[in-house]
Amino acid sequence: MTAIPERRSTRQLAQPDLPSFDIGDLDPPTREALSSLVLTMADDEFVLGFWDSEWTGIAPMLEEDVAFSSLAQDEIGHARLLYEMIAQLHGGKADDLAFGRTADEYRHCRLLDHPRRDWAFSVARRWLYDTADAVRLTALRRSTFAPLAQIVEKIRREETYHLMHMDVWMRRLAAGGEPRERLEEALTSLWPDALSVFATVPEETRLIDEGILAAPMSELAGRQHERLLTTLASLGLSVPGPRPSSDDGRDRAEASESFRWLWSEFTMVHRLEEGATW
Amino acid sequence: MSQERTGPLGQPVPASGPTAKPAPSPEGRHDDAARLGEGAEPDVWEVFRQEKDGDPMRHAGNVRAPDRELATHYARELYARRQESVRLWVVSRGDIIDLSDPDLLQPPLDRTFKKPGGYVMRDKLDAARKRAAEAGEGDGGGAPE
Amino acid sequence: MTDPFALEPVLQPDERARPLFHDPELTHEERYDAFVEHVQAGHKVEARDWMPDEYRQSVLRFVEMHANSELMGVLPEREWIMRAPNLKRKLALTAKVQDEVGHAQLLYRVAEDLGKPREQMIEDLLDGKTKFHNVFHYPTRSWGDVGIIAWLVDAAAIVAQQALRESSYGPYSRTMKKICWEESVHIMHGRDVVVTMMNGTPTQREMVQEALDRWWGPLMQMHGPRSDRAKDRDLFWHIKAKTSEELRQEFLTIYVPRILELGLTLPDPELRFDEAAAEWRYSEPDWNELRTVVTNHGPMSQQRLDFRRENHDLTAWVRATVLAPPAATTAVA
Repeated sequence: MTAIPERRSTRQLAQPDLPSFDIGDLDPPTREALSSLVLTMADDEFVLGFWDSEWTGIAPMLEEDVAFSSLAQDEIGHARLLYEMIAQLHGGKADDLAFGRTADEYRHCRLLDHPRRDWAFSVARRWLYDTADAVRLTALRRSTFAPLAQIVEKIRREETYHLMHMDVWMRRLAAGGEPRERLEEALTSLWPDALSVFATVPEETRLIDEGILAAPMSELAGRQHERLLTTLASLGLSVPGPRPSSDDGRDRAEASESFRWLWSEFTMVHRLEEGATW
Repeated sequence: MSQERTGPLGQPVPASGPTAKPAPSPEGRHDDAARLGEGAEPDVWEVFRQEKDGDPMRHAGNVRAPDRELATHYARELYARRQESVRLWVVSRGDIIDLSDPDLLQPPLDRTFKKPGGYVMRDKLDAARKRAAEAGEGDGGGAPE
Repeated sequence: MTDPFALEPVLQPDERARPLFHDPELTHEERYDAFVEHVQAGHKVEARDWMPDEYRQSVLRFVEMHANSELMGVLPEREWIMRAPNLKRKLALTAKVQDEVGHAQLLYRVAEDLGKPREQMIEDLLDGKTKFHNVFHYPTRSWGDVGIIAWLVDAAAIVAQQALRESSYGPYSRTMKKICWEESVHIMHGRDVVVTMMNGTPTQREMVQEALDRWWGPLMQMHGPRSDRAKDRDLFWHIKAKTSEELRQEFLTIYVPRILELGLTLPDPELRFDEAAAEWRYSEPDWNELRTVVTNHGPMSQQRLDFRRENHDLTAWVRATVLAPPAATTAVA
């Protein structure tokens, strides 16, 4: 598709992105389960935003540099929104959640442990993530927890462009020659983690029973797997490996080496002065 | 001290020094290359934007892209990422016809009859009003019998 | 008596909209003179206009250096995107650096339309054949630098850029208007970072002061040595409108009070406003340092060029394939 996503309204006054809500709407165990889920989403967006912002200034072409940077900024914006929701659920501040944990405490999926590597790798990883995220967001858009449904709707609208842009790049890389070789190599390397977005969330059943989440993560993983196979076929790419696991997608003995490096970078200034305002 | 010369419009032009004119190139008029030049790149797309509903499309700038699809994405990024546009048109530069021939656009003879400024009638109106007032016509408000 | 049916030309030949220098009937000398008259009267030149070789080369050189500076200017700040200490700053800094890349795109496009291919300009930059502004040859050591750069380096740049909105070269003048509009947000962001730190802990305040002490020298050198108005070719062609000294004075007038009001000090004991002369006095900037730095012997010059070269090479395959224009039959690497 080549159409630019339509904006439904023209100038909008600055309104708080996160609708305020009464935490009394949720009982404590549900609140806990919801926080766990939202934390995984926030951490996913946060970490991807970091990796992709590394391309700023050094992307293959200036025009593409600007475009790719917008994708990274969008992710950080989504992370901010999600961290703020958790802060409202539990008290505390979004920045403390984002910057104040040890490296082992982050709950992003394994797909996002990989550093950005080359252009084909970044495109492939982003494609795998964005398409998986779309499936996850679809399962939340009719959430009975209205603030979440509202946030999800805003994020989905922004993600439209991400999906379009990655679709364009996947088709072009897959077309042949060196780009295709690099893409295939990247997909092979990423494939085992392709469904890690759908790691089972603690107390997931409770969220489903309450209508906050529409289906179990394992079911969403299956859906995504089907879609990936279809797209790969349409691009003429072979399936990079057996069906990847998903349930343990966020389990790690400890933070990966690359994430440790990333963590030390993004907490560097924050750790200089505890409690300081920057 | 350099001798003062004057150019065709009467301005002084020194014969030597940093503001002196260069001698015409013996190879011919390199300067004319600029007239024919399309620029160095073949993959340029011009972008027009509309600031808000009802506004005309205005030329905003241009991007390079290998095809229509990426041109659209890049136009959006460079000219609409701050939500500053409600519509964009993206056109391959090669599809744009550039018309700047003065004979066609700015012909020298009088065209004032085509423009509002060509109808200055203040003196005529004054004369007409004066004449009508003296003749007792057009009282300005008197109802006809 | 005048023939009432005679159609007189309303405009005299020298009042016609079409400037004289376009007339191919004139000699080269006459066209050149008419062109000089045209730009010095404040009129614009467009990409497809006839123009003297010297004008074209001068504009190209000027714009190319500006484009190079935006591109290289991304690198010192890019490191700190990763290290921004909260979500708001991370977003603001990423957006700012994105804007710099966008400005590089706008400026290279202007230069490309004057006839020099982008790939050639990048090669010349990486080979050290063309230059970029002094401030981007220095290291950034702390978050204090991030604030000082975003505020004061951008401020010094915008003083120059605002004057360039009147440039005789149409495409450049229009681009500068867009750039100035976008840059105004960067300065606000930078000032916000600095003021927040100055309202913070003693460590934060020291960080800002230390950064300012290091950056003041390069900032004073940034607009360049005083030039003789009569000898400055870029002024002659109205490519730029103000001298180095005018820009520096303007920068000092606006920003020295804003720096001092925060409780910061400036590392120049000579700096003061001379009421009688109505201008700022200051220690003579180190012009040797400036010369050394802009010829790529600054503390970070080679490292940054090497970094850019490395990444340029790493992405060459993309430009040769997916991003190559359809007409290209050979690799554009």
